[in-house]
Amino acid sequence: MKVQVPYLSRIEGHAHLVVDTTAGEVVECQLEVVETPRFFEKLLVGRHYSEVAGLASRICGVCSHSHTLVSLMATERAFGMEVSDQVTSLRRLLMYGEILQSHLLHLYFMAVPDYLGVNSLLAMAQSRRDLVARALRLKKLGSDICEVIGGRPVHPVTTCVGGFHRFPEASELQRLRRHLSKALPDLEQTVELVAGLDWPDFSHQADCLALHDSDGYPQFGDTLISSAGLQVPNSCYREMIREYVVPHSTAKHARINDETYMVGPLARLRQGFHHLSPLAREVADLQGLSPSTNNPYLSQGARLVEVLHCVEQSMHLIDHLLLEGLKYEEPVVTCKAREGVATLEAPRGVLLHAYSYDKEGFLTSADCVIPTAQNLANLEMNLRARVPQIIDEEPDIFQSELEKLVRAYDPCLSCSTHLLTIDRL
Amino acid sequence: MKPRVGFFDFTGCEGCQLTILNLAEKLLDVLDLVEVVEFREVQGNCNEDLDIAFVEGSICRPDEEKRLRLIRTRSKKLITLGACADLAGINIAHEEAGGAELAMAVYGSDSKHLQGGQARPVSAIVPIDGRIPGCPVDGQEFLAILHALLLDRPTNLPAFSLCVECKLAELPCTFEQGIVCLGPVVRAGCNALCIEGGDRCRGCRGLVDNPRESSYHRVLETFNLSVDDILEEYRTYNLRIDEE
Amino acid sequence: MRTTQAPTSAAAESSTWRALSRVEIDLFVRSMMTAYEVVGVQKKHGRMTMDKVEDPSELLLEFPPQVHSPKKFLFPNWQKLFRFSLGGKVYLEADKAAVPRVIFGMHPCDLHAVQVLDDCLFEGEADSVYRSKREATLLIGVDCLPDEHCFCSSVGTDRTDSGFDLFFHRADEGYLVQSGSERGEALLRRHAPQVAKRDEEAPLPLQVKPCEHQLDFAVDALAPLLGDVYDHHLWKEIGERCLGCGACTLLCPTCYCFNVEDRMDDDLAGGERVRTWDSCQFDHFTRVAGGRDFRSDQADRQRHRFFRKYKYLWEKHERTACVGCGRCSRECLANIAPVNVLNRLFVEEASPELKALPANEYQPDMVEIIAVEDLTNQDKLFRLRLNTPIHFTPGMFVAISIFGLGEAPFTIASSSDDDMHVEIVVRAKGALTRALHRLQPGDSVGLRGPFGHGFQVEDFAGRDLLLVAGGLGLVTLRSLLLSLLADRQSFGTIQLLYGVRNMDHMLFQKELLEWHGSNQLDCRFAFKEPGNSWGVPTGDITHLFRNLDLQPQRTSVAVSGPAGMYRFINPLLLRMGVDEEALFLNLERHMKCGLGKCGKCRINDVCVCETGPIFPYSKVKHLKEAIER
Repeated sequence: MKVQVPYLSRIEGHAHLVVDTTAGEVVECQLEVVETPRFFEKLLVGRHYSEVAGLASRICGVCSHSHTLVSLMATERAFGMEVSDQVTSLRRLLMYGEILQSHLLHLYFMAVPDYLGVNSLLAMAQSRRDLVARALRLKKLGSDICEVIGGRPVHPVTTCVGGFHRFPEASELQRLRRHLSKALPDLEQTVELVAGLDWPDFSHQADCLALHDSDGYPQFGDTLISSAGLQVPNSCYREMIREYVVPHSTAKHARINDETYMVGPLARLRQGFHHLSPLAREVADLQGLSPSTNNPYLSQGARLVEVLHCVEQSMHLIDHLLLEGLKYEEPVVTCKAREGVATLEAPRGVLLHAYSYDKEGFLTSADCVIPTAQNLANLEMNLRARVPQIIDEEPDIFQSELEKLVRAYDPCLSCSTHLLTIDRL
Repeated sequence: MKPRVGFFDFTGCEGCQLTILNLAEKLLDVLDLVEVVEFREVQGNCNEDLDIAFVEGSICRPDEEKRLRLIRTRSKKLITLGACADLAGINIAHEEAGGAELAMAVYGSDSKHLQGGQARPVSAIVPIDGRIPGCPVDGQEFLAILHALLLDRPTNLPAFSLCVECKLAELPCTFEQGIVCLGPVVRAGCNALCIEGGDRCRGCRGLVDNPRESSYHRVLETFNLSVDDILEEYRTYNLRIDEE
Repeated sequence: MRTTQAPTSAAAESSTWRALSRVEIDLFVRSMMTAYEVVGVQKKHGRMTMDKVEDPSELLLEFPPQVHSPKKFLFPNWQKLFRFSLGGKVYLEADKAAVPRVIFGMHPCDLHAVQVLDDCLFEGEADSVYRSKREATLLIGVDCLPDEHCFCSSVGTDRTDSGFDLFFHRADEGYLVQSGSERGEALLRRHAPQVAKRDEEAPLPLQVKPCEHQLDFAVDALAPLLGDVYDHHLWKEIGERCLGCGACTLLCPTCYCFNVEDRMDDDLAGGERVRTWDSCQFDHFTRVAGGRDFRSDQADRQRHRFFRKYKYLWEKHERTACVGCGRCSRECLANIAPVNVLNRLFVEEASPELKALPANEYQPDMVEIIAVEDLTNQDKLFRLRLNTPIHFTPGMFVAISIFGLGEAPFTIASSSDDDMHVEIVVRAKGALTRALHRLQPGDSVGLRGPFGHGFQVEDFAGRDLLLVAGGLGLVTLRSLLLSLLADRQSFGTIQLLYGVRNMDHMLFQKELLEWHGSNQLDCRFAFKEPGNSWGVPTGDITHLFRNLDLQPQRTSVAVSGPAGMYRFINPLLLRMGVDEEALFLNLERHMKCGLGKCGKCRINDVCVCETGPIFPYSKVKHLKEAIER
């Protein structure tokens, strides 16, 4: 039996799902990523530091803020710059907004339709207008946060090396705060919906990679921690993570110690379970999620948990910022000819940018390690393991279960296909 | 019968489609007016005839070209969405990267799939019926163009430059701080969002219909920009000008 | 021609002045906020802008001129004209009444700007939307300090005693509030009663602002000046620099040109017709259906802006439409500044003849004599070399000085082709001319000019010429003749009739012989006194008219001679059929200053040094003093 799904729908980016089994044996099982490589690193070389983040942002529309922030941070590391607590707090808030925007988009528009038996949530605009309206409202919650802090929901404009060109007004933060608390009824209904979905039963032990965040749940951090016990400062990432090209994919794959691994909500949950906010913890418990959860389909449940976590944390962070009072600060930049490596937890997992600059502040080389690229090998392993379990199902169920598995990783293929490292083989 | 609409994407970041989803409740109004028949990111693919196709992304490879042509034949109107489709935008840089040779040199023949190919705007392959510029597009502008299409009105974009929007918003001009901005030759319609955010215009919406290039270059020269500096300014989003 | 003033801006019969403190102003504002929307200048997002006041203590009463004008409140960028619904019956819903508002913070220039808007928008069919806003808005003025772009003092808008409801002046301690209308008084009574009850103070005198930037001429001269410079090359220069960004018109407090369009609601079931600010600087402003653009050149667009502000509206309303606020020049990236443009036009165009030495019009230039030739035993030809080229037409004159003896006018005898030399013929008659005769090549004399109005040679193209010279009158016609011969093929037949007393008085004998022998022109001579070696018949010049081959309808005639000659030559020519417009007379009088000032060369009301000495007969036939009786 051959399953070929060209241009898989409800994922970000272009890929074909190809599964070929003959007499119960898996002959081929691949996610052929066909997204055009855009060679971003070449685009970045020779650019002035003030332009780099704006270009890096265009790697992806869904995680534009993640790329922007990690790019800025990599530049700041290269120049040896520290940023203020205010800036860090605002960046955390921006990341909460990004995660909300991304997870809610994914849950409602990409994942849930599979479990409601529809092809698209938009198709329910007439029959379940309330559901579609709720989905759009909640998604707007995330994009509003991004708009207030970053200036725009996609591709921010207020961010710069050292901090921000423009800081939000207190009134704007107050408005966000109100918006967040008004969203709680919608969130309750979301929990009811998602927690009640019937996740396929499947387990696959995998090494999970996340960041160590001294503040609690993984968001920012300079240390890479794997569940297998490895702990490496991000500047030494090359010693830990090996990226390689595969012929059927324009996106790279990655391995740690030659094993596939996973990044993303489940990996973060494993790492930071005990730092979840109270509401998030409740929702985790409700779904039976724990640090030892190893069903990739349950990444969706983990996303739901993270949504609650981000909402709660955002409210606290805004309260903190309002109490402190926002002060305009002008960043002071001194260029240095050095390499800088930065990492953060993007919605889909650990994101890394490494840049080198010359002493005039022009970029000389760039490398990025993308969450989805790190997941693809593990995803294919999952597919291989899953196929025998569902081989006897009707063809359309067989296909649908595999699609659900791909979607569970929430792959972002525009991101993962942008780069090719030239200087290492 | 409601008009049938589809959203398509090629080489790009999909930020423009996301911006359409960010219309939030206004999207429901849109859904009352049209039937979204195809939207790969949040729906599925189909292969039927359409009234309006919105296309995001540049065309880089033969398979993309083929797919685009098929979309064109089955759509009554085709509107480009965003700078990648409109201008080739940021993607153009990888033509200069020497992608094909580079990949071959490093990875040998195994890497044919890693070549990019020259990024081209959609209008270089098929005729288009309208465009929505920007990186990403502005949600309100998308609605205005959609409404114009539904009302059978011309899909006109503003013919004046960004300076108008800065002045209406009472923003201080970046030139006053000695920072060069592409605003005077770039098309308005974004409400000077980037300048409002503290940055300067980098030209993602493309040049205005009748840019006063020589007058603008004269201004840039007073800020000590050389000819190369000036051409560099236009490079980011692939703005084409007559090189003097 | 003043148009009806807006009903609310009627100035109070007499203003009252009262003192108050900043704290009292805050309370006044807070009280007004209960009944009105109060807008004023505050600091927002790190810049100063006029916006709704939430906290009176943040209201700024002193702010620089670059703050954007309050035009946006009286004539907003986006103004709904009416709503409509589609589907079946179209239903129009009238716009609601304007929000009652107080604009607290209008500089004198901006108050004048409102008057300009009133002139334009109340004219003819009054703009009802503007009117409703105008009537619902109270205007409170504040003082200002001009910066280097303001030129309000040049256009008289740096101060005002009307057009406001209240005006707050800075005083040594606190403020003085001046009432400007009944509504202003009422506002004080209701919202600052203790101030209203206070004793009156002495008024401050009207302040004239110290503007660095000034027009070099009176503002009344602007409209006529612009009338002369429509085709000046300066507009093209400006057009090349202009970015077409429209900043000038958007910021201008008196610009109001707009576009009208329909905007639909999101459900497309209804919408609004709105008007939005437009600009004469934009593409599409003058474009019509089909694509034709009636003002597509940026130079024309900028010129239009200037003409509208400084000429068209001035001529209509007798009020300067530009209030000198400087906003356009302050923010123009191409540095187009009205004061610089206008000053340059004034300097270049206002008085072209005097541009050599401004304010030195009586001082001659020293020029060198490079040749002296005896023409007769009493007449010498002097060839002078100039220091700078001059432009003249045949028939004009220069004034020659010998210091100590004086200055006298001399007709230019040379061709207008040569702009670095002039030749004059001097007959030694008086002290100055005798002194001139004693000079040699290498000596210098003073020269002023050229003065007067000469022959417009290009008007003779394709025509026959008849030149009638008597005595010294040949000097003028020699200049004309040389200019004609320099471009011989442009003209028809040329005939010269020269009457002189005798051969000894004959000027330019050598040249005359040459001309007579050539086929370029036909010469006839007449000597009054008998006995000459040329075989010329005796008689006066009228004899030469016998058997004259003349086609009067295509002939222009130039007559130059002693005063008495005209008395009988003119009728002769007119009888022959010469047109009055084509008969030119050289009427010289006692030209002294050459500038139309001293009064000595007047023929009735006509000044020879300004409009002559070359006159068409039609222009002088009514002048009783023109032709000797």
